Amino acid sequence: MKIAVLSCIHANLPALEAVLRDIEKNHCDAIYSLGDLVGYGPHPNEVVNKIRELQIPSTQGCWDEDIVEGLNACECSYPSLLAEKRGRMAHEWTNQQITPENREFLAKLPLMLHLDNLCFTHGSPHSNHEYILPEMDAFCALERVLAASADVLFCGHTHIPYVRTLNPGQLSVKLKKGNGVTERQFSSSVKRIINVGSVGEPRHGRPNATYVIYDQDTERVWIREVEYDYEKTCRDIIERGLPSIFAWRLSRGLEFAEKAPDASHVCQR
Amino acid sequence: MWWVIMAGIEGNLAALERVLRDVYKQKLPVEEIYILGDVIGIGGDNEGVVERICNPPATELIPHVCRGWWEEQVLTVHGLYGSVAPIELIEQFGPQASRQLGEGVSEKLVWWIQSLHFGFLEFDCLLVHGSSVSVSECLSPETSPWVILDRFQRVGARYLFSARSHSLFHCIIEEGMVESQVETVEGRRINQVKQAETKHLIGVGRVNGKDGSSYVLYNPYTGEIRLRRMD
Repeated sequence: MKIAVLSCIHANLPALEAVLRDIEKNHCDAIYSLGDLVGYGPHPNEVVNKIRELQIPSTQGCWDEDIVEGLNACECSYPSLLAEKRGRMAHEWTNQQITPENREFLAKLPLMLHLDNLCFTHGSPHSNHEYILPEMDAFCALERVLAASADVLFCGHTHIPYVRTLNPGQLSVKLKKGNGVTERQFSSSVKRIINVGSVGEPRHGRPNATYVIYDQDTERVWIREVEYDYEKTCRDIIERGLPSIFAWRLSRGLEFAEKAPDASHVCQR
Repeated sequence: MWWVIMAGIEGNLAALERVLRDVYKQKLPVEEIYILGDVIGIGGDNEGVVERICNPPATELIPHVCRGWWEEQVLTVHGLYGSVAPIELIEQFGPQASRQLGEGVSEKLVWWIQSLHFGFLEFDCLLVHGSSVSVSECLSPETSPWVILDRFQRVGARYLFSARSHSLFHCIIEEGMVESQVETVEGRRINQVKQAETKHLIGVGRVNGKDGSSYVLYNPYTGEIRLRRMD
């Protein structure tokens, strides 16, 4: 079975539509979304409506959570006061636009979805605010996949796609308890982390939408990069009164804001 | 120089006195005393224990205390931490426990509890009640070693002293390795080989144990660890 996995659409309808066309062209059997349907972009209701209409299973992203529960992230989300101010503006705008039905839909999204040995989540199994970066300590990365009770962990949140294969690992453990000493060997099987990038707010240096196709039978992964009319989204960002820097960075596929300086930090609020 | 590390007094003043007597009678040069939470409990002499810890005789050290599971429950009950309802407390001890902590803990004690740190990172040691993730997380010999290693890697410690399991043990992750490859959107492949350095997870036991008290002596200058059990 071929599965298309997408994340971080961020209220960008032209990007989503282009990705859906690409998915159709590639004859995928199922589509999964890893959340962040809204935020930053100018089409929050249009995107949520499309996901609902197509009945695409989706997990909840951090922006979806914030729209439901109110913005309550700590300073970990913002590298500067200016970035925080813009983030809050985008949150407020989205909060005013979203319909009660779509807010309800976002509220009911699960934090994780499973399909056979695959797990789908927005950030990590521990938090949809946690960034699993490609350079994360391999033992920590392995723990994230094990915590998901899966062999393949699909995530997003960083907006930059990658595939990480963790080969079988070994650990030797000695336990001293009471008067006894025992020794044990542990090993892990091959695990994978697949970051599917971002449909609507890419940060890999180009404006194209990114997502992933995964073949369950062959275990092959394709990182897809899809061109679309990003200028249309940029125009809508400006016309609808969102910060113009969102259009600037969308047109370049760059991101300077909302990147946590400490990726291991998990916001506890 | 030695550190004395204990936890789980749970309002048992007599047990605390017995442990302190045991510590001082060994004539070891004690540099610091750490109490990894659960100073208070339900139904014990919480005020007496805190008074004893904060105002010891002039010949004794003032211990460093961090927040334990029971302290976190008090803060939750009083609306000073976490979720609206003390779900963990009610699940494990019933709704009457919530009432007892709400009414039976003085305001002065609540403020003292609120001043406690999550834990201590000293030298290459993390001293916490649960783990680097939360006060509630229980690290025991039965915990997956991959999880244990992750809790070390998060803070860059080599020794992790934890109390939540109530057990007295010394678990050593002696060696380990994980190899990985990252493939980027540009098609670049990055290989990484990660070796695990030796890590020590120490369960510090419990002063108010069912079968007696236990605690740990640790020499941070030599790495020597003594698991001390008093029947």
